[in-house]
Amino acid sequence: MLKRCLVLIPAFLFLLSSSALAAQNVYINGIDANYPPHAYVGASGKAEGFDVEALDWIAQKMGFQVQHVPMDWDAIIISLLSKKIDMVCSGMSITPERKAVVNFGEPYFSVRKVLLVHGNKPLTKDQLLKGSRKLGVQRGTNEASWLEANHGQNGWNYVLTYYDSAPMAIEDLLNGRLDGVALDSAPANAAIRKGRKNVTIVGEFAEADEFGVAFRVEDTELRRLVNEGFRLLKKDPFWRKLQDKYDTHI
Amino acid sequence: MSAYLAVVAGELPHIALGSLVTLAVVALALGLGFCLGVPLALAEVYGGRTARCLVAVYVWFFRGLPILVLLYLFHFGLFVALDLNIPALPSGALILGLTSAAYQSQIFRASVEALPAGQLKAARALGFSDMQGLRHIILPQALRLSIPGWSNEYSILIKDSALVYVLGVPELMARAHFVASRTTWHFTYYVLAGVLYFIITALGLKLLRRLEKKARLPGYAGGAGYVA
Repeated sequence: MLKRCLVLIPAFLFLLSSSALAAQNVYINGIDANYPPHAYVGASGKAEGFDVEALDWIAQKMGFQVQHVPMDWDAIIISLLSKKIDMVCSGMSITPERKAVVNFGEPYFSVRKVLLVHGNKPLTKDQLLKGSRKLGVQRGTNEASWLEANHGQNGWNYVLTYYDSAPMAIEDLLNGRLDGVALDSAPANAAIRKGRKNVTIVGEFAEADEFGVAFRVEDTELRRLVNEGFRLLKKDPFWRKLQDKYDTHI
Repeated sequence: MSAYLAVVAGELPHIALGSLVTLAVVALALGLGFCLGVPLALAEVYGGRTARCLVAVYVWFFRGLPILVLLYLFHFGLFVALDLNIPALPSGALILGLTSAAYQSQIFRASVEALPAGQLKAARALGFSDMQGLRHIILPQALRLSIPGWSNEYSILIKDSALVYVLGVPELMARAHFVASRTTWHFTYYVLAGVLYFIITALGLKLLRRLEKKARLPGYAGGAGYVA
């Protein structure tokens, strides 16, 4: 009995090493699959979204292969640094903190940050930020850092509640646990379009964010390929088509 | 209502496939935990001072840290430092398995210690070596006694396995979240995930219950005082 068990240990280790010998020629793009319309998992189980399609187009044009792998957003940077993934093209805002550890490609998209409130409890932007209101935000995002850094200014005394994903925060706004949600404009519009009709955008906060693809500092060649790809994509009619399809016009 | 069910049914295959991922992680982790847990338990009961000490440190470490911390520590820390490029699923299963081994070792230790100490002595008197005594006398009884405690470990591990999404393993709960994010129907798909977890757990426990009854030895440990 014991011996038979001991045989299983090398077998297990073998399984580990053999699966590690996967193909090397494919770049892996880590996405936040809970971030429609930029990146999400479609009904077929495949990755879809504005950023996913954009990168697919670029990969085809520039002659490399890309595989989109859903990752926990909390672990996305460490996954990139420890080479579990090769890039992050998934609506990642360029921030000084992130810039310190990864190399961003040229900004490919600007996004506004908006505040959502419940239709039954219409607050103005000012009311939402003052008066100790409960504000939901996805943790690990630039929105969250900005709201933390600017708390206390202009008499803002909102109480932040953190969520795994922006759609989850919207869910809790509708459940009545929050007074507002802070998030990027495109996911807000996507949620409203998907039937969250009872939420309203009451205003913007912070400056517009710029999205960039994150790479490891040493992967300059991949960065060059993707930068060049975005330059071509932005001149192509497909860029406009993508924005129409995913409603990401700002 | 039927339109609603049709939409949910359309999403079901993707989420249900996640339960296979969950099962794969749990099966690997439980298997590894068993293979390590039994020797750990025997070392703790019969080993010398050093062996007992090592087991104590192992159990203290893996029971003392949250699984989430262990996942980060090993997958993004130790494995990378050692240049081991282990993919997410086996890596998650390995870490859960190492943790489970610590818990399982205590289940097996309790069972071994529940047996009368004289049994191994009697085995020696009959000419068994210590290994033979463990293999033919102690373990067959101890493992039978361990099944109820082991069922607990199984059902706990099923639910703990949802944590491996931090490594990027698209298991059941992560997939339910993906679909919920796209459709904005969080409640629906989390309930669906709950139902799937419930089915997996209930089926597994039923099988273990059957094993427990089937392996029972009337008049011996696990059989004595047993009322069906």
